[in-house]
Amino acid sequence: MKMNTIIKFLAVPVLLMVMAGCSKDKLEEINENKNNPVDLPSRLLVTDAITKTAFSITGSDFAFYASVYTEHNVGIYNQMYNAEIRSGEPSLATTYNNTWGSVYETLYNLKIIINKTSEDGNEAGNFHTLGIAQVLTAYNLAILTDLMGDVPYEEALQPGEIFQPKLDKQEDLYNEVFSLLDAGIANLGKESTAASLGGQDFLYGGNADKWTQFAYGLKARYTARLAFRNGGKWADVITFANQSFTSAANEAKFVYDGSTTNSPFQTFFIDRDYFGASTSLHNKLVDRNDPRDATFFIPYPGKDDVEFAPNGSPDQVQGFYGISGIMSPTAPTYLLSYHEIEFLKAEAYARQGGVSADAETAFLNGLEAAFAKVGMELDSTYVVDEALRLFTANPLKEVMVQKYLSFFESEAVEAYNDIRRMKAMGENFITLDNPNNATKFPLRFTYGADDVTTNLNIADAYGNGSYIYTEKVWWAGGTR
Amino acid sequence: MRKITFLLVFFLLAGVNFAFAQTRTITGKVTSSQDGMGIPGATVLIKGTTIGTTTSIEGNYEIEVQPNHRTLVFRYVGMSTQEIPIGDQSNINIVLEPDVLQMDEVVVTALGISKERKALGYSVQEVSSENLTRSGSSNLSSALQGKLSGVEIKPSSGMPGASSQIIIRGARSFSGNNTPLYVVDGMPISSTSDFSTGNSVTGADIANRAVDIDPNDIESINVLKGQAAAALYGIRASNGVIIITTKSGKGNKTGKPEISFSNFTSFEQVSRAPDYQTKYAQGSYGMNIPNTSFSWGPEISKLPDDPTYGGNSQGHPGMYFVPQRDQAGLDPWVKPQVYDNYGDFFNTGYTTTTSLNISQATEKGNIAFGIGNSIQDGIVPSTGMDRWNAKAAGETKLNNFWSMGFSANYSRTSIDKLPAANDASLAGVYSAPPNYDLAGTPYNIPTDPYKQIYYRSLTFDNPYWGAAHNKFTESTDRFFGNGFVEYSPYISENMTLKTRYQLGTDSYTSHYQDIFEYGHKGSIGELNNYGVSSQTVNSLLTVNYNWKINSDFNFTALVGNELYHRNRKLYDEYGTGFNFGGWAHMSNAKIQQADESQYQDRTVGFFGNLALDFRNMLFLNITGRQDYVSTMPRDNNSFFYPSVSLGFIITELESLRDLPVLSYAKVRVSYAEVGQAGEYYPNFFSAPNYGGGFWGATPIQYPINGISSYLSNNVQYDPNLKPQNTQSYELGTELKFFSNRLGIDYSYSNQLVTDQIFQVPVAASTGAAALVMNGGEIKTDVHEIMLYATPVIYQGFQWDFNVNFSKINNMVNELAPGVESIFLGGFVTPQVRAGIGSTFPVIYGSSFERDASGNILVVDNPGAWNHGMPVDGAPGVIGEVSPDFILGFSNRFDYKGIALTATLDWKSGGQMYSGSNGLLDLYGVSSLSGDREETFVFEGVKPDGTPNDIVRGGPNDPDAYQDLLTNVLTNIDEYYIYDNSFVKLREVTLSYAIPKRLLNNVQLTVSLYARNILLWTELPNFDPESSQGNNNMGGSFERFSMPQTTSYGFGVNLNF
Repeated sequence: MKMNTIIKFLAVPVLLMVMAGCSKDKLEEINENKNNPVDLPSRLLVTDAITKTAFSITGSDFAFYASVYTEHNVGIYNQMYNAEIRSGEPSLATTYNNTWGSVYETLYNLKIIINKTSEDGNEAGNFHTLGIAQVLTAYNLAILTDLMGDVPYEEALQPGEIFQPKLDKQEDLYNEVFSLLDAGIANLGKESTAASLGGQDFLYGGNADKWTQFAYGLKARYTARLAFRNGGKWADVITFANQSFTSAANEAKFVYDGSTTNSPFQTFFIDRDYFGASTSLHNKLVDRNDPRDATFFIPYPGKDDVEFAPNGSPDQVQGFYGISGIMSPTAPTYLLSYHEIEFLKAEAYARQGGVSADAETAFLNGLEAAFAKVGMELDSTYVVDEALRLFTANPLKEVMVQKYLSFFESEAVEAYNDIRRMKAMGENFITLDNPNNATKFPLRFTYGADDVTTNLNIADAYGNGSYIYTEKVWWAGGTR
Repeated sequence: MRKITFLLVFFLLAGVNFAFAQTRTITGKVTSSQDGMGIPGATVLIKGTTIGTTTSIEGNYEIEVQPNHRTLVFRYVGMSTQEIPIGDQSNINIVLEPDVLQMDEVVVTALGISKERKALGYSVQEVSSENLTRSGSSNLSSALQGKLSGVEIKPSSGMPGASSQIIIRGARSFSGNNTPLYVVDGMPISSTSDFSTGNSVTGADIANRAVDIDPNDIESINVLKGQAAAALYGIRASNGVIIITTKSGKGNKTGKPEISFSNFTSFEQVSRAPDYQTKYAQGSYGMNIPNTSFSWGPEISKLPDDPTYGGNSQGHPGMYFVPQRDQAGLDPWVKPQVYDNYGDFFNTGYTTTTSLNISQATEKGNIAFGIGNSIQDGIVPSTGMDRWNAKAAGETKLNNFWSMGFSANYSRTSIDKLPAANDASLAGVYSAPPNYDLAGTPYNIPTDPYKQIYYRSLTFDNPYWGAAHNKFTESTDRFFGNGFVEYSPYISENMTLKTRYQLGTDSYTSHYQDIFEYGHKGSIGELNNYGVSSQTVNSLLTVNYNWKINSDFNFTALVGNELYHRNRKLYDEYGTGFNFGGWAHMSNAKIQQADESQYQDRTVGFFGNLALDFRNMLFLNITGRQDYVSTMPRDNNSFFYPSVSLGFIITELESLRDLPVLSYAKVRVSYAEVGQAGEYYPNFFSAPNYGGGFWGATPIQYPINGISSYLSNNVQYDPNLKPQNTQSYELGTELKFFSNRLGIDYSYSNQLVTDQIFQVPVAASTGAAALVMNGGEIKTDVHEIMLYATPVIYQGFQWDFNVNFSKINNMVNELAPGVESIFLGGFVTPQVRAGIGSTFPVIYGSSFERDASGNILVVDNPGAWNHGMPVDGAPGVIGEVSPDFILGFSNRFDYKGIALTATLDWKSGGQMYSGSNGLLDLYGVSSLSGDREETFVFEGVKPDGTPNDIVRGGPNDPDAYQDLLTNVLTNIDEYYIYDNSFVKLREVTLSYAIPKRLLNNVQLTVSLYARNILLWTELPNFDPESSQGNNNMGGSFERFSMPQTTSYGFGVNLNF
């Protein structure tokens, strides 16, 4: 009786309550994720694919290190100093790891967008978003292989399924880049069933024509890139470039507002302060009486004069050397600039026929845009006395040098690509002054540590990292 | 319902009637065999009841018994308990013998079940209130240091409220929880922080929730170390359990309330100061550069000769120009001088802990009320802690069968902190140039309090400016407690049945605020408000059946159910950029961001325990528990965990009884399997995050002009996730010699932990950063020795000591396929990781390049700047954190109320990343960097294999030494790795208990104590117990971390 009472009044209700409280349905309901969505429309994904491509991948670490190797800046502190003196950083797997991760993260999200908007996806018919995702995929893949050579792609981007993706050859990756661009152009040309991306597209506001121009511009850039391997398809470069930007208005430029979005080089200065004004770049500008010298370099805040840092052997000290004068919280990141298109065209014409009207027009358009980029008007004295004089003497050289100058400093990756391509082609138009280059010019960037430590294929390819001083990428004459 | 009421009333009345029947009085005196004197305060208890009394000052007692009362139990701390049959006696005098280890000691085991220590088949260690609080520590984990075996306690610093890690028998999880379950008065409570310090290289430390516990209110702590001991707690048992029993008045003398009041006040100082060079000024390569972080400048005495800043050539002979003084509007010309910037910065901190406890035992139960307050002022300006605790507890018998009780605890904890590592407020304190007057130079310009004046670039804030303007605070209001009813009907003479239902809650709200004021790092500041509101409900039903089968066998069975449910809501508000200084509020932030998250989790367990005892000699215990967990995938969320243990008291064997030397011998063996659940979610999308890497703040902040975006979360989840599993066995023996004057308790345990759940880092090329999946294996071998001895008892003098020895070998055998090591925290390099083939955790980073035989290689390139210097090699494991062994050694000397106790703690072996040591060299302020004018030959070999004989440095090669430290060694993380063995005098206490008769029956104890005196360490310059992180990386990674302290204090304890 007493036992019955206790069981009836205490144990039974408690147990019944508890049994109901641990059913599979109940437990699953408790574990419902209230903080994150499990699915989203593609328009909410494409925005950050663009932002990451611009800020993290094009604009930040890759560009910072490239600006040291191309002597746009001198690394005067910590990691950038190490890069400058070629100690550690250039061959460490940790150096580019963050951006390596950003590229694959972005490629994975682009893959999700492509899957959603392709035939079997839940947004089939959203051709413009599909085309944009394809163009961005091509762009990111090209950056990755340009800097790192052979990288995983075919087996990549399958989390939880393939843990150690194999490397694909750079040649195959470039074929993929071109086919993605072609597919992207085709899709951008179709009638899309979905509403325009509008404000979700920070680059072009959902304008398919502008994206198409961007895609053609990329075809021009990458066709030129392979010049050493394809014998120089300069007519193609011109054809593609002609279908690209016709003015700076449509160039692929990511704009920062200085509050919610901040320009990478400016933020890098505020947060790190690792760069000094480059003696090498300064000398190149001074040699040609280039008026941009006074714009490119300013004294360190609070100082009166620009102290130039010697390339390769600066003192590791902050607050001493001059700094870049074109940094600002709103300085844009160029995915593909109008001046690059014009210089590509000028290079193609110059390679086809030396001095020509077409070459000169493109050259001067590029030069004007390069000056406009840094808020200057092209002055005729400089054009006549310097630029055209040098152009006439050696059109190809002057085009490449002006292109190099125009890339200061956020387009340093493209300057780095050009320097390596020209070396492969036996051209030494741009002299680099860092004495460490005698034995240690970084021919490429290392793979990211996240793969070096977890993917044996990458670990093998990375070895001890010293390959970056000895092995060129395929398009620059190497094997991988 | 009416039936129950009727029953209740009936039993109540029956009980009352019974109580008045046929009582008689027994009197007597309890004396000690040592001195023949009466023992005051000894407990006299009627066996099988809670009725009892305590002896008077002379040792006399008086107790009323009834005919059914058969036995009296006499107990006194330090004496062996005696049971005397009452029979017809009316006067019972008794002589108690000293007992170092009490045979019948009762310990609290899993789910609050009390068991005799001798019946256990596994190791349980108890720490008494007296041992815990004698040196007035207001922090539970520091109060436990040196007092437990098999347990490693790693404090992060000596700051008020500093986090610490308690790990029992090594780590089981790589990145998950390794800390034990805390159970207070039967209610499991949260002890870890809701917020991890993550990579632990920015911001301030975050306190663990164990900080809310007031050690002064603790009656005893029982530590269930092994999985077999804890198995009844199921999926939460794998890390061991710390069972805390608070003061409840149980065991008090009945009738009269007992009041105790104590106050401990101590003064803290920084435990260690680095050795600095005092010869060279700020600058680089011998040049005075007044805004560099380096002190590689000219000799301080030669500053007046400097061509730019020297006064000798500018009409200020013997002086030099300090631009920062100029900025401050002071006379910029000063005489060169050396400053003690380190010593100037630290204050003398103080801690005062006060507690009042009132308790009373009645014939039917007991009741207690306590209130405590601890106020701390840290040695670093603007740090401190203020904690209030209040508690009430009671238990009462309603009648012979029903009883009920409750325990309620409230705490309020506020902590003020400062950041370390990349945001270090101490960076400039540790590495200020010796010629710069950091304390004496204003930290802001006269016209703007938010424009800092500093000797270097504002990568770090001026520490004085930071202390004045930056704010890092946390505050928590918390309630936890439970109530229970218990029903124990009478079944038969040899059977008992006890049903107990307990319902408890642990509920708290914490608010955190991290403010970098306008002007931080020369920019416009930021603030982060975040917090959590957490509610836990715990329902526990147990039915306990005991059957004394016959004189040989005793059988116990327990079945029960537990439901644990927790709701949490977290908020996070982040503001970037203030419009102006002085109003560090969200409304003043230019960009404001808010986020929230909500979580729920539930664990339901059904468990059983069977125990069979044979002749008080063999004790068999079997448990099983089935757990259902909400945080696992639907089809894989229930699990069964068994344990079995056996204790065998050899000295109960006929042939081994009454041996002359060996008074007690027991062997025990146990096996258990328990799990640990993961946190599973179907894959999801999340908001992009642009922090980390080179960025100080977040350069990109969604929503951007009203536009939001998301991306696939880079941590994904394996849908086949299963719980991680720990299989463990434990062998142990307890031996007591010489009538228990010497005792040893040894345990060997082995744990094999497989299928760890962690964010397995996957190749970034897979598209994800990590996959939450099973992988890995840790194997742990632990040797624990507890040694107790009372070498001397002579005419009132007694010397006791005990030793706690732990040797824990915690080896990572496997990680997930392809994963060599996983990241736990730190920088891009170096990091703290778990690495295969190494103990847990390790430090990973760039190493010295070495030849095949492990010699450091140096460059042989005459003319090169780094000729004769080492180079950085491949990244790898550069340091192992875990020690070879830990030994705590406590002594107690008693003489007529005067007691001297001392606890030594010796950690042998182990390494840490000491960023501060390396940076002091880099910055050129360490005493090592003072040898810069001498020649050196770096120890290593040249590429041709011959020993390095390249002489660098000296007058003709003045840059070499700076190059070595600032350009070479600074890039080699291995250079920052130091052995950190140490010996500390954890606490030394001298106390005097003033005899009650002198103070009108008031017991007054006064004490003097000192804590944490670092006697010796291998680590140069800093205290090895100062590091980053409130998570598994704790104790291994230091970089401008908050320092440790040494305390000196006095205490007063009043009982009446």
